[in-house]
Amino acid sequence: MLAALLRHTGDFEAAEDAVQEALLAAARQWPADGTPDNPKAWLIRVASRRLLDQRRADQARTDRELRVTLRTPPEELLVPAADLPDLGDRDDSLALLLLCCHPALTRPSQVALTLRAVAGLSTVQIARAFLVPEATMAQRIARAKARLAHAGARFTLPSAEQLPGRVAAVAHVLYLIFTEGHTTSAGRSLTDLSLTGEAIHLTRQLHRQLSAVGEVTGLLALMLLTDARRSARTRPDGSLVPLAEQDRSQWDRAQIAEGVRLVEAALPAGPVGPYQLQAAIAAVHAEAPSAAGTDWAQIETLYRMLDAIAPGPAVTLNHAVAVAMVDGPAAGLAMLQPLLEDRRLRHHHRLHAVHAHLLEMAGKDAEARAAYATAARLATSIPEQRYLNAKASRRSPR
Amino acid sequence: MKYVILIHANPDPWGHPTSRYTAEGRALPAVYHDEADRQFDALLEELSASGEFVTAEALADPASSTLYGWSPEGQLATDGPYAEAKEQLAGFFLIDCASRERAEEIAAQFAQPGGVVELRPVMWPGGDDQ
Repeated sequence: MLAALLRHTGDFEAAEDAVQEALLAAARQWPADGTPDNPKAWLIRVASRRLLDQRRADQARTDRELRVTLRTPPEELLVPAADLPDLGDRDDSLALLLLCCHPALTRPSQVALTLRAVAGLSTVQIARAFLVPEATMAQRIARAKARLAHAGARFTLPSAEQLPGRVAAVAHVLYLIFTEGHTTSAGRSLTDLSLTGEAIHLTRQLHRQLSAVGEVTGLLALMLLTDARRSARTRPDGSLVPLAEQDRSQWDRAQIAEGVRLVEAALPAGPVGPYQLQAAIAAVHAEAPSAAGTDWAQIETLYRMLDAIAPGPAVTLNHAVAVAMVDGPAAGLAMLQPLLEDRRLRHHHRLHAVHAHLLEMAGKDAEARAAYATAARLATSIPEQRYLNAKASRRSPR
Repeated sequence: MKYVILIHANPDPWGHPTSRYTAEGRALPAVYHDEADRQFDALLEELSASGEFVTAEALADPASSTLYGWSPEGQLATDGPYAEAKEQLAGFFLIDCASRERAEEIAAQFAQPGGVVELRPVMWPGGDDQ
């Protein structure tokens, strides 16, 4: 509904207020007059009227204020132009997502605005999900809206040249929302909000409209495959269970099947991107009967491909684990050596955790315990630190 | 990732911004402080606009604190300050950044005459299962 109104105004504040007023009007009138045949259309009609009234009042008060709101010229409401790619069954939510992930905004602002305007979460919910004060989140959202207005951002589809870059930004924002939800779910039992659920819902929406974009399909598959492990990854006391130790009978098989189907459809279709490769890796893990029975050779190949298109320390670490599983711990340890000598990674706890794990595999128990202790000191996650401390103080590992 | 930027300083008399009340700060001309204030306001504006600023507080004189010790017989309250350290905790900023590198870039700009600025990661309750 918000999206429908934004098509006519482009002004977030006004559209939100109008929606609120329409809902209030419905609460007053529907019990007395009966629910209309098409409640959504009724609400949009009433909200549009309120919006128009409000706009006339504003105009009378000051023209200057209106110049800074996001007004969309009528001709731009007719979309899409002939030079845009065929987007199939497009609806307003895609344009709204693209607007919320506008390049004029920083990533945190894009994330906040997407959750507010597209997912429809309240500022309080978003603030709680990101563990920041409500006032901070309210300000972040307000600043983001003002910045969009200032940048002259329009509620229309970008040009064909710009579209891939803009869709990539949307995918990254959805990925960040998912990761935030996935990695903090252990400490998040007190809140009712599921950021992973919101991210999957929004990515499904995006996928419905851009099903030919391999990375969107890959992202949805990655989320489904990762989220399928949810009930196995924490113990009742909130501590984390590493992938290798998880009870695989608790994994969500239906979600895994859907994720695997998506990634299998996307991979042969076009250029392979990082989300598709990560999804493929998650699929290999998901289909393995046990940690030992995992097809590590295939995982090693996939990490080598990922390293070629999106290199970084996190990829090297995962690649080294896979190499150790295929060729033995010495080969994996050799890959870590340059990272251990890199001063920029001196605060990187996972480097030392992986180092410790490979030393343990190699039977170097004393060195492994020392590396676990280093990893524990650097860890900033409370459950991970507890896990690493336990490994560091263990007399004889395993 | 959240980080705190801790401002350790020994302003005498106690006052904020601490850089105007430290011996090193007082030795500098007013024009230095005016320029530093301007830069600091611009930094806060930038952090606020980027969504990286979370919260901040300036703390009162450490002499105004109360200290609570614990023993099996019960708590024991005494008047502050906590430590006779040269520098005291004078205030903190909580920021939320994409990387440690970015947090370091921000924290470095808090360096001021008379005092030490400390960047510390904040622990969080989550974690990954990889």
